[in-house]
Amino acid sequence: MIGWLTSTNHKNIGILYIVTTMTFFVAAGALALLIRSQLAFPGNTFLGPHAFNQAFTLHGTAMIFLVIAPFGIGLANYLVPLQIGAPDMAFPRLNATSFWLFAVGGLTVFGGLLAYGGAAATGWTAYVPLSEIAEGTGAGQDLWIVGLTLVAVSTVLTAINLLVTAVLYRAPGMTMWRMPIFTWEVVATAVLILMAFPPLTAAFAMLLIDRHTGGHFFDPTYGGNPVLYQHLFWFFGHPEVYVMILPFFGVVTEVVATFSHKPVFGYVGMVISAFAIAGLSIGVWAHHMFTTGAVSNPFFSAVSFLIAVPTGVKFVNWIGTMWKGAIELSTAMLFAIGFMLNFLIGGITGVMVASPPLDYGAHDTYFIVQHFHYTIGGGSLFALFAALFFWFPKMFGIRLGEGMGKWSFALLFVGFNATFLPMGFMGLEGMARRVYTYPDVGHLALLNGISTAGSVVMAVGVALFFVNVLVSALLAKPVPDNPWNGYSLEWLTSSPPPEFNFHTLPRIQGKRPAWDVASGAAP
Amino acid sequence: MAQTTAPQPQQIGPKGMGPGFWPYTIALTVLNVIFALLILFAPLDFIMPGWSHPVTDRAADIDGLFKFMSVFGFAIFCYVAGYVAYFAIVFRRRPGEPAGTIGVVVHDAPKLEFWWTVIPSVLLVILTGLSIVVWYKIQFGTGAPALTMEVIGHQFYFEYRYPGLKGSVYSQTDAMHLPIGKPVRILITSADVIHQFWAPEIRLKAAAVPGLVQNLNFTPTAPGTFDVACSEYCGVDHSVMQGKLVIESADKFEKWLAAQKQRAAAGAHPIPLARGNAASGKALFAQKCSACHAIAPFDKKIVGPGLAKLTDDPQHPTLVTGKSPTRDHIAEILENGYTGPIGAMPNRQANGLSDQNIADLVAYLVSLK
Repeated sequence: MIGWLTSTNHKNIGILYIVTTMTFFVAAGALALLIRSQLAFPGNTFLGPHAFNQAFTLHGTAMIFLVIAPFGIGLANYLVPLQIGAPDMAFPRLNATSFWLFAVGGLTVFGGLLAYGGAAATGWTAYVPLSEIAEGTGAGQDLWIVGLTLVAVSTVLTAINLLVTAVLYRAPGMTMWRMPIFTWEVVATAVLILMAFPPLTAAFAMLLIDRHTGGHFFDPTYGGNPVLYQHLFWFFGHPEVYVMILPFFGVVTEVVATFSHKPVFGYVGMVISAFAIAGLSIGVWAHHMFTTGAVSNPFFSAVSFLIAVPTGVKFVNWIGTMWKGAIELSTAMLFAIGFMLNFLIGGITGVMVASPPLDYGAHDTYFIVQHFHYTIGGGSLFALFAALFFWFPKMFGIRLGEGMGKWSFALLFVGFNATFLPMGFMGLEGMARRVYTYPDVGHLALLNGISTAGSVVMAVGVALFFVNVLVSALLAKPVPDNPWNGYSLEWLTSSPPPEFNFHTLPRIQGKRPAWDVASGAAP
Repeated sequence: MAQTTAPQPQQIGPKGMGPGFWPYTIALTVLNVIFALLILFAPLDFIMPGWSHPVTDRAADIDGLFKFMSVFGFAIFCYVAGYVAYFAIVFRRRPGEPAGTIGVVVHDAPKLEFWWTVIPSVLLVILTGLSIVVWYKIQFGTGAPALTMEVIGHQFYFEYRYPGLKGSVYSQTDAMHLPIGKPVRILITSADVIHQFWAPEIRLKAAAVPGLVQNLNFTPTAPGTFDVACSEYCGVDHSVMQGKLVIESADKFEKWLAAQKQRAAAGAHPIPLARGNAASGKALFAQKCSACHAIAPFDKKIVGPGLAKLTDDPQHPTLVTGKSPTRDHIAEILENGYTGPIGAMPNRQANGLSDQNIADLVAYLVSLK
């Protein structure tokens, strides 16, 4: 136990990240169930407004800052050194610092629940002036700001660490253009984090100063500007969306190629599109602010539309990878296919709201709630499970049950779509987001009922996953080092890998060292 | 322990694109054409029950844009999801195939990759152009507006101001009114936190940001009574910050505005305060107010200040809002609540007060000499 707490080994830290994020995932998921219970039928009084507002604030905050993004970072922590043949991360102690800052930051945010007046209740965006006055004045809001600042600092430190590791610590023969796509996506993510997170910490510092020392940065009565906060927040917030998806694009690429038993189709296109997405995502932030009337809608609309192009390139490359493959429909592959189908809907609705006139209708309604859940929930979360099923044998030397895994997938896929597809129609029928109650008009009662039922199905799917982990751990069936016939370097070491990853490294002479060794092309 | 199986050099894939590829593609295309025709030519509420009719010229433009994008969105969904599912099925590894079987080794197709980058880019540039045309009309209008009115967000109601009207119309007591066939410009801002003015039938929303005024331009085209809601989370009672929008003929609108002006000129509060009954007010006070307020001097606080001699106390010549303690100003606090240095009081909706309740409470408080 002490060994785990003081470890600086990237694999231990990676696993700590994954376990911690999955714990936060359960907490944030429970909050989602509370939200859906309150909205199960019109005029429900189960939670009441104050509890409901805290629930959706913590749900969004936790899923974004404490689950999806740090899971990608934790996975990168575990995999990047293995995929490039490095013994550890470049700065192991810094790596441990990052994790503990993250864990403490997350607990600080949830600590708001114990504060007088409750946790933060201003949404995950904490827009000013709301977060400076009224119910946002409690200690819960301060804990939220401080906790997320710790998480932001931790994320920046990890990004530096991952970038330096990938650039400087590659094994002999592992040129940049031979790195697996997952590692490439992590490099793009790290660059994006370095650009996007500092403005967030600046915004949080200003918010804290405004709240406690009368800074008036965002207070119009003293010449401040509430829109400034939105600029700083979304300058982080939109790249954050890609911080939450790029590593998972990498996961899906690896899973699809491995289980199609083919090389990645359009490797160069995959790398270029990752950087194109990262680059464009820096220039789209104000599409979250179309309705403020304070930004250049045509410019931000045009750039937002364009981001669909590199994303489309990824899609056709995944399809190209599957084309004429020998596709093994394992649980990981099913989750990757689920990712593609769900993320596609998120992408198409995303293109729609990139149009300012359509956004005027959809903004802040359940249409948007549907859109971003299809990208982060149906996308990243499904890829998260694909990653767990795919790399679990490497991390622990045991395989997760495939039968139970496929049931989990089926429940999550059906449950997810039942929960979130109706939300698009709720939005089009005029249901605003972040409301704790709604009138019984149109089809809102029916749609919300389906949605709540779907969320219960999802919860069963998630519970089954944890049962699966438990049962698999108890059975502890050993697996070979490379159970899936994977091609990248991590499959050449033992499962789990030794402390410094590799006893011997093969001569790396291509993008697929494990296949080269297997076919005798490399010693 | 089984070790990595050597990838076999043989290609197991079929010739051409794959079994049934072209018939499948044709089927997807037919589906797309049917959907496109349906979307473009059938009314949206036929395809989607619950779709509301557009009631302004700009709302009709936006629906047109929505239809156009839906056609492309549906096509992209069909082909991409269609091929993902299709390839996963036709190229799946059959039982009995050796574990080492690999797919056809294809790395790249530069020409193909070039075209599937360029064609979507062109399409997206077209979508951007169409969007900006509609946006421009909403932002700047298509001519001089015949009516310019103001919407001001408050926690938790909207205040409407009309030209020539002294005083305001409030969303709790009256609807926002707009005339058919007149180009209108709505100026939007906020008095406290960020709100968002939204009426689903006009398809538009605009953030009400303190310190910033922005505008929406359109011409109403169809009569009716529609919902207005705040769609930017603005605090604990955000969910009930709602009102109505009445779109009516220019004649009826003028009549309504004239009536408002008359009432304002008479100095009458929109709530008929004269009809208040102090006895009912006393009972109501015990039930709804006494948890926070005592009938005691101003400085005897429970949660809020004591309310005895509200209109007749030389020590406290003004209300907490800084206004003189007249019946209208007392009613204003009861209506809108209060947030300020001495605390916060919920508005009438949170307290569940009808017009008559407010009139009764005012009558009771004024009677405490």
